[in-house]
Amino acid sequence: MSFAALLNDPFDSVAGWITGHGVVPALYALHLMDWEDIAGGWVLFAVYGVAQVAITYAVCVPLERWRPVERWPDAKAVSVDVIYTLISRVGLLPLVTFVIFYQLQVAMNGWLTDHGWVPPTLEGLVPGLLGHPIVTFFLYAAILDCADYWRHRLSHRFGWWWALHSLHHAQRQMTFWSDDRNHLVDDVISFVWFTVVALLIGIPPMQFPLLVLMLRFLESLSHANARLSFGWLGERLLISPRFHRAHHGILAAGQRSCNYGAILPWWDMMFGTADFSREYVATGDPSAEEALASGSYVQQQWAGLRRMARMIGRSQDPGRRAAAR
Amino acid sequence: MRLLFLLPVALVALAGQARAEGLAFVINSRSASISVIDVATHREKLRIPVLREPHHMALTPDHRYLLVGDTTGNEVLFINPRTAKVERRLTIADPYQLVFSPDGRWLTIAGLARNQVDVYDAATMRLVKRFPLSAMPSHINYAPDSSVVYVSLQETGRLAAIDLRTLQVLWDSKVGDTPAGVLWLNGHILVGLMGSDCVAVVDPVDGHVVQCVHTGRGPHVLFLSHDRRTLYVTNRVGGTIVALDPATLQEIRRYQVSGGPDDMDFAPDGKLWISRRFDHSIGILDPVTGKMQVIEVGRSPHGIWLNTHDTLPVSVSQR
Repeated sequence: MSFAALLNDPFDSVAGWITGHGVVPALYALHLMDWEDIAGGWVLFAVYGVAQVAITYAVCVPLERWRPVERWPDAKAVSVDVIYTLISRVGLLPLVTFVIFYQLQVAMNGWLTDHGWVPPTLEGLVPGLLGHPIVTFFLYAAILDCADYWRHRLSHRFGWWWALHSLHHAQRQMTFWSDDRNHLVDDVISFVWFTVVALLIGIPPMQFPLLVLMLRFLESLSHANARLSFGWLGERLLISPRFHRAHHGILAAGQRSCNYGAILPWWDMMFGTADFSREYVATGDPSAEEALASGSYVQQQWAGLRRMARMIGRSQDPGRRAAAR
Repeated sequence: MRLLFLLPVALVALAGQARAEGLAFVINSRSASISVIDVATHREKLRIPVLREPHHMALTPDHRYLLVGDTTGNEVLFINPRTAKVERRLTIADPYQLVFSPDGRWLTIAGLARNQVDVYDAATMRLVKRFPLSAMPSHINYAPDSSVVYVSLQETGRLAAIDLRTLQVLWDSKVGDTPAGVLWLNGHILVGLMGSDCVAVVDPVDGHVVQCVHTGRGPHVLFLSHDRRTLYVTNRVGGTIVALDPATLQEIRRYQVSGGPDDMDFAPDGKLWISRRFDHSIGILDPVTGKMQVIEVGRSPHGIWLNTHDTLPVSVSQR
């Protein structure tokens, strides 16, 4: 497949069809045609979101059945993670984040331009990158992955933040659906974090949807309930389910965790938090109240807020809390 | 009536068939690129990478450069229209739509996301004045004597007139739901109202709508053929292109063009090259037979312009 064909992928055709036959006529009927262009961008997001879920499902379900780490008599807790995934990848969240980021980027870059500054971009820093979109994309992806490593590591460091993030760790039945299991406030913090980084490096929001799809697939795969290692070398190039499971292990919950990376293990290796030795451990956060692990979506969100309030009240970080236990 | 319409089109087609050669430039807004297509073979010769999100383009009055506005990239590219080589880049905030005045003195640039209309001295590219206009300024056209520039304001349903002699807003008038394309024709301003089925005929003196021409759902942009005998309107929602008689504004013929028809240019062989926003392709429509060929390009193709050597347009300000 040529690069042009790779970019003109079939999902784009589906998104175009939905835009032309569904979304635009609906906007017309509602007298909202000034939203047409931005709605087209959101449809593309949503189609790729559905494709992400479908491809991940098609690969991970057979994998989890073939080589499961754990078998559960009742996998009810997993169903809530499905809701998280749908909200995060195809629902309102991509629409809101897309619109807000787009507006922020326009405002900031326009202001900079008006004042004689060239808005920051990697291609501006390294002009040779223009015309080499795959290389550029992977550079952007590596920078964002590094930023995510530090966001994730800090979310374990501060008590109030860990209280929110512990919702992600409370799952004892971790599957590929668990990747998007996050508290909404934690999602908002992540969005702000990524927005700041993305504005600083001038990331193009919708230039590489297919490649974004591949990266999101790898993130989901790393949470799969599957005995899957990429081998000595492979595990040092990409994060495997085995590597990431160590991060979700019950002994790793809280401050003293390891393997914080999402796609690349390099940041863990570089900053001394990589642990390649652990085998397939049990997951969960023993200190979390039961609602965080097995409650409904609303119960989990509420429990996360309560835990955060308690943590702020105590002004303790997870390390002190763990020591006190 | 239809035969009368078809006769000049057929004659142009016969006369120009052998001369349909040159380069077509198609802006792929969501692929951040410009497809350069050989008009004779319909093959994409190259794809020019652009920083972020380009939408529209304009040929400089001296035909030296094709200017392409990259909105979120905040720059204007100066492209050699004969070689397709990018020769210069200029930092400008949110250049969405850009149109030169008929006399070549002014370049007006609409910043759709930033609610601003900038008037530049075309010779020096010096910003003469910025007009904050709410909201979503999108399409631009001028009075034939270049004294006034008209800008549609998509979100607020208005049309603004800026006097280029005094650099003051003459009027800012409600014209209808989601106005897009603007075209001066026979002493009036025509505005495609994308949120309705109507092309508004506006009095240039005070901005009042004097007539509504029903063309189909979501009329977007209006194009007058080079021989000035046919006025084409792209209906974005309805997926049609309507040919009107410019004198009477009566419908002559209707073409099915799915995929969100948007911008258009005319080839010497009489065919219409049309960008299709939802279909990552352009259509080449034969107005005589109504048949359309399709060429794949990048995501969300928007601006389209043909440099067909022997019929290089005097200006693209009428688009």
